[in-house]
Amino acid sequence: MSNLVIRLVSFGALTLFGCAAASAHITLETQEAAVGSTYKAVLRVPHGCEGAATNVVRIKIPEGFISVKPMPKAGWKIETVKGKYAQSYEYYGEQVSEGVQEVAWSGGELPDEFYDEFVLRGFLTAGLPVGETLSFPVVQECGDKAERWIEIPKASADADSLEFPAPGIKLLPKK
Amino acid sequence: MSPVQALCWLLASLLLSAVILAPNPAAAHAALIKAEPADGTVIATSPSAFSLTFSEPVSPLVLTLLQPDGSSLALTSSRLDSQTVVIANPQPLASGTHVLSWRVVSEDGHPVAGSLLFSVGAPSAAPQPAEPVDWLVRSLLWSAKVALYIGLFLGIGGAFAIAWLAKGGREGQRFVVAALLAGLLAAPASLGLQGLDALGARLHGIVLPAVWETGFATSFGWTVLVALAALAAALLGLVLPRLGRPLTLLALAGAGAALAASGHASAADPQWLTRPMVFLHGVAIAFWAGALVPLGLALWRKTSMAGIFLRRFSRSVLPVFAILVGAGVVLAVIQVEKPSALIDTAYGRLLVAKLALLAVLFALAAFNRWRLTAPAGSGDAPARTRLARSISVEILLAVLIFGVAAGWRFTPPPRALAIAAAQPAIAHFHTPQAMAELTITPGHTGEVAASILMFDGDFGPLDAKEVTLVLSKPDSGIEPLKRPATKPGDGTWRVDNLVIPIAGSWNARIDILVSDFEMTKVEGPIDIRP
Repeated sequence: MSNLVIRLVSFGALTLFGCAAASAHITLETQEAAVGSTYKAVLRVPHGCEGAATNVVRIKIPEGFISVKPMPKAGWKIETVKGKYAQSYEYYGEQVSEGVQEVAWSGGELPDEFYDEFVLRGFLTAGLPVGETLSFPVVQECGDKAERWIEIPKASADADSLEFPAPGIKLLPKK
Repeated sequence: MSPVQALCWLLASLLLSAVILAPNPAAAHAALIKAEPADGTVIATSPSAFSLTFSEPVSPLVLTLLQPDGSSLALTSSRLDSQTVVIANPQPLASGTHVLSWRVVSEDGHPVAGSLLFSVGAPSAAPQPAEPVDWLVRSLLWSAKVALYIGLFLGIGGAFAIAWLAKGGREGQRFVVAALLAGLLAAPASLGLQGLDALGARLHGIVLPAVWETGFATSFGWTVLVALAALAAALLGLVLPRLGRPLTLLALAGAGAALAASGHASAADPQWLTRPMVFLHGVAIAFWAGALVPLGLALWRKTSMAGIFLRRFSRSVLPVFAILVGAGVVLAVIQVEKPSALIDTAYGRLLVAKLALLAVLFALAAFNRWRLTAPAGSGDAPARTRLARSISVEILLAVLIFGVAAGWRFTPPPRALAIAAAQPAIAHFHTPQAMAELTITPGHTGEVAASILMFDGDFGPLDAKEVTLVLSKPDSGIEPLKRPATKPGDGTWRVDNLVIPIAGSWNARIDILVSDFEMTKVEGPIDIRP
């Protein structure tokens, strides 16, 4: 069987069953979204850090993803870090120049053998580069240990080669 | 003591002190400490000059720049600023990877060579300079050294024995003259060969004045000058019997001084100890080995003076033997440093070979001294014949030992190897965001410590939250070895208790956590010596 066939078959299987290749990594549930639209980011945390339970999940909001609101989560405390954006964006007829830049869920306890999801929503501004990947770097803290899912892939193809890739989405053209 | 003798003693001691006090701070082969541009760096524009800083002052021999197109450019203009060789760059460099190949001579007369790679603008593939060994030049240099030893020890020592011990007997004079002439020829020849070896030139280069100048510029130049003077004095001492004693005494001191002027042993620290030890060792060898041929021939031919010659020799040989062994032991301890080096290094193995030959020689000498000397001295003819035969074996052994000792020219002693081994391995990594200098000390396999110095892309300080060193060797199947670095507080990051299992080119990656969500990685190869 040729490489191409293997790739096609596995791609088909992955799409069919809706699972990403790097299933052990922290990833986003919806891995592509159109610019100029609202995006609900569901952060999937499949395990702790080297067996230790996860206590803190922090996510860095990328530039161009505005008006971010995290969804409250039972048993977890939510904190946001606000700041100025690099530029101002138009959001439903208004100029927005500052907002949430980091969200942290803390005080929880997610054992290594359980799975959980952390949700926020925001708006993908229309100026974001279509066709490229928008990364959401995540730091996962487990007591005194931490895993940093912050490696930004240079091209979409090399995401698999990274040890701790940041979760990201592929930007689609505006609908 | 006659006035002439007193004058000779004075001259000899002046010669000796001149050699001992000659400015020569060399501790070992010079090692490159720092280079500008540093090895492995990428520089934005063509530099106006290069600089190489060594562990001791050196004289540059050959400096060439291998350019990206494969052509080589001779760098002829350089000056020495303390321990730094500053080399002018004659032309703007094209972009791409260059190899600066350098060959310098350290104070111990040993050529040291190396090369460093840097790129202008961006790296390109660079041809690797090779360093071939010219075995023809090496074997000629070795032969010249052996011939020089024969001249210094058997020639000068023989002349001394004829003048001082033989009581008018002239046995062995023809052999001694031949040995002196061999030495007189070998001394300048070895100078030219030394020049060839230092320059890495082929044999036909012997006609070039630069080769001779180079040979002369090494500390071996002094050895040759002093040796020529001493050999000539000994020859004159044989021709002019009235001045025989003072001239041969001077020559004997000159033989010791010639040896003390250059070579590994003389270059070792502490100089106040090693140079006199080499001098004494050389003088004692010349005294002992030199007397063997005239004495053996006198005994063989059963001349009337043979008995007195033998008594004089055997009376003085014990203190001379003590000096020979004492000085030899001191030098061996300094050079070898630890017993395991006797087997682990080429230098040590040559020393073991020399010691084995010496053991046989000493056993034979002891047998001669305590069994044969008394009957032979009292005129027992068969005893004299046996002693003469046994002495001829001693001479053969002595020449073999000279051959082994001449081989040391090509092997750095463990002392110098230890200094070289302790040198760190250094690599520079560069990305637009960050620059890191990784130093692994010592730069060989085993337990090492890594030190990391980082700058941001504009050479400003880079304040990292966390730094991780990742070492891997994919070609040997060694997966990444990940170690967090700590901050000792001097601006560097350190990883202690690191063990590097095998030698070769390792891939080093430094993960620099700049802020909570931002990591910069720099990566590149670092060479680890065995």
